[in-house]
Amino acid sequence: MDIDDILREVDPASQSIPTETRDLQALTRAWVAERSSPELLHWPADGLFERVNDRIKQQIERVEEMTGDMDPKTNFALIVIQTELERFKYLVRSYLRARIAKIDKHTLHYLSSPDLRARLSETEQAYATRHQALLHNHYLSSFLSAFPPALQNLNDTAGNISMIDAPDLDTAVFIRLLKDALVEGHGTDMDGSLNGKNGDVVILRWSDAKPLVESGHAEVI
Amino acid sequence: MPRLPGTSFLTDFHKVPCKFELDVPELGYLDNNPAQPLKSGTTIGLPLWLAELLALANRAPSSADEDAKSFISLNLPPSLSNEVMAALKADPRAVPLRDQSHNFYGLGTRILDLFEEREICAILRRTFVTRAADISLHAGKAGTTDDMGVGAGEDFLRGLEEWERKLFKKAHDGAKSTKEWMEGVKKH
Amino acid sequence: MALPLPSGLVPTEVAFLCEMEIITIVPRQRLESIPMLSGKTPALRPPRRADLPLWLALLLKKQRRANIVPPPWLLTASLQELVNLETNVNPEGFSEPPPPPMRSDGRGVARPYAATTSRTGDEDGDTKELTLSSPFLPSCTQDAPSGYLPFHWLEIAETLLAHAADDIPNAPEVRALLRDLQEVRAAKLRASTRHLEGGGGVLKLRGVGAMELAESRGFVLSVVDGVRKLGASIEAGRREEELERREGRGGDESDDDMEL
Repeated sequence: MDIDDILREVDPASQSIPTETRDLQALTRAWVAERSSPELLHWPADGLFERVNDRIKQQIERVEEMTGDMDPKTNFALIVIQTELERFKYLVRSYLRARIAKIDKHTLHYLSSPDLRARLSETEQAYATRHQALLHNHYLSSFLSAFPPALQNLNDTAGNISMIDAPDLDTAVFIRLLKDALVEGHGTDMDGSLNGKNGDVVILRWSDAKPLVESGHAEVI
Repeated sequence: MPRLPGTSFLTDFHKVPCKFELDVPELGYLDNNPAQPLKSGTTIGLPLWLAELLALANRAPSSADEDAKSFISLNLPPSLSNEVMAALKADPRAVPLRDQSHNFYGLGTRILDLFEEREICAILRRTFVTRAADISLHAGKAGTTDDMGVGAGEDFLRGLEEWERKLFKKAHDGAKSTKEWMEGVKKH
Repeated sequence: MALPLPSGLVPTEVAFLCEMEIITIVPRQRLESIPMLSGKTPALRPPRRADLPLWLALLLKKQRRANIVPPPWLLTASLQELVNLETNVNPEGFSEPPPPPMRSDGRGVARPYAATTSRTGDEDGDTKELTLSSPFLPSCTQDAPSGYLPFHWLEIAETLLAHAADDIPNAPEVRALLRDLQEVRAAKLRASTRHLEGGGGVLKLRGVGAMELAESRGFVLSVVDGVRKLGASIEAGRREEELERREGRGGDESDDDMEL
């Protein structure tokens, strides 16, 4: 039992929510946001993902220890732990796969500037760079090499037409407010705004929702 | 916003009526008259990508004469004509849009980029939203019966253009996957 | 390897989320605390009630180790009230979502349950706030208010009816009332897109549920995106005019609320 648990037990009215619950909430929210927003979001900066992954590893070790113990009482606990482990793995895997899907779709875009590149984890950056190199080599060997060198680029922006396909940031999303906040959105005939209340569900463009989501005033649903 | 290759590829080849503002030697064959130059004032259907380039290009940038400025003047394609707009205004559901153009709205947005036509823009938006509600109703029914809901609104559904077909598919997939979950929850 | 799913959660993913909702059980057997990744489970001592995630409650129920206490909003009186609310009182919008749960701070003052400050980053004084929301708020326990549908209402109700119908008083009527609710609310969601042709920038749908969203999200968002694309040239023209008007005023005090 660590000090947080002890403090929580002597002060049941404490405001704190266990770190484990907080991390699961944060991971779940990041997953839903990644599944529902048109562009790749920032890799969690506070070590959330690494923390969760470490705990998963520890839990797998615990399962291995418990498996040796044939007591039927621990048997049920083992089922519970393994079921939860599978749920965590599903969450982590789905989160990573949603990100890879976006990176695959717009690889050059996310490699095109340091700011965009910084959204990727180290592993994702390595993946994207290799993915793009393989793709370019494949194009070169199958048809690009037949073109004059000046036409072999895949990232031309000449003639006001960029070859780098980018996600449409004005795609609409659903958000829910976590706090009262002014919600402003770009519209066609006019722009809109509303004095949002905690719990409000609003449809608006991702480009308008993004600041609210990043500041923690709203979450994507 | 850059126009991305591929996103509006098919619309690029949609022909729109263009009136030539000058004589062009050697192009008479476009008007089935290969021996003659193409005469100024002739109207010919050109693919949208070419029409856009020609309509926006300036052939005499220094000239003060407004009329001498572009190669062609672009006219509204028949699918966005006054008659079609009037019919849509009267009842958006009664017009089989697919017969006007397979990519009716896609073409519409490209044309609206070139013409400032507030009225057409408003009619297209109202048409899209009104028909979408019907599409959702039909797709919802299709989720609960197995014939894709075609029975009742067959004519309406046949008249859906590309954007609307995608809408129908989204609505139908949503209804179907929800129904599947509702049935599956009892099993495990 | 990449996810072959459309943008936005699909029903099976919504169901996965809903299984994290906290629900109240009555244990039928003792069970020691289990060290889970999401925290330790409470030790179970019949007949003392305990709150657990739905997936674990269902596991215990299937093994006859516990009974489930249905949330108060799932009882017939509450559902009848809700059908009346949705049909007669507010035929346009959805009924209100549950009020944010409060808890005592030990000095007799109620505080929001959801707001919490970080204890991990306290070395550099960085108290980053994290607000809890569904499924991590207790909106399906025995203490949840009746007469309010929580975000995962439909999934929770269907799951409990499928696996713990014997724990729900008057289950057939509950089932019928749920169908009524589902129907009246589905019509509202469909109707919401009719107000979109002006493309007003923000559209409020307070009270909508997660499974309802999963069913209609793709359709509704495509309508919004379609209206935006059809109006793109008009919108660009409007912004240009607004910009010109602004610049024309030559550094005047900007007192309007135009977003540029």
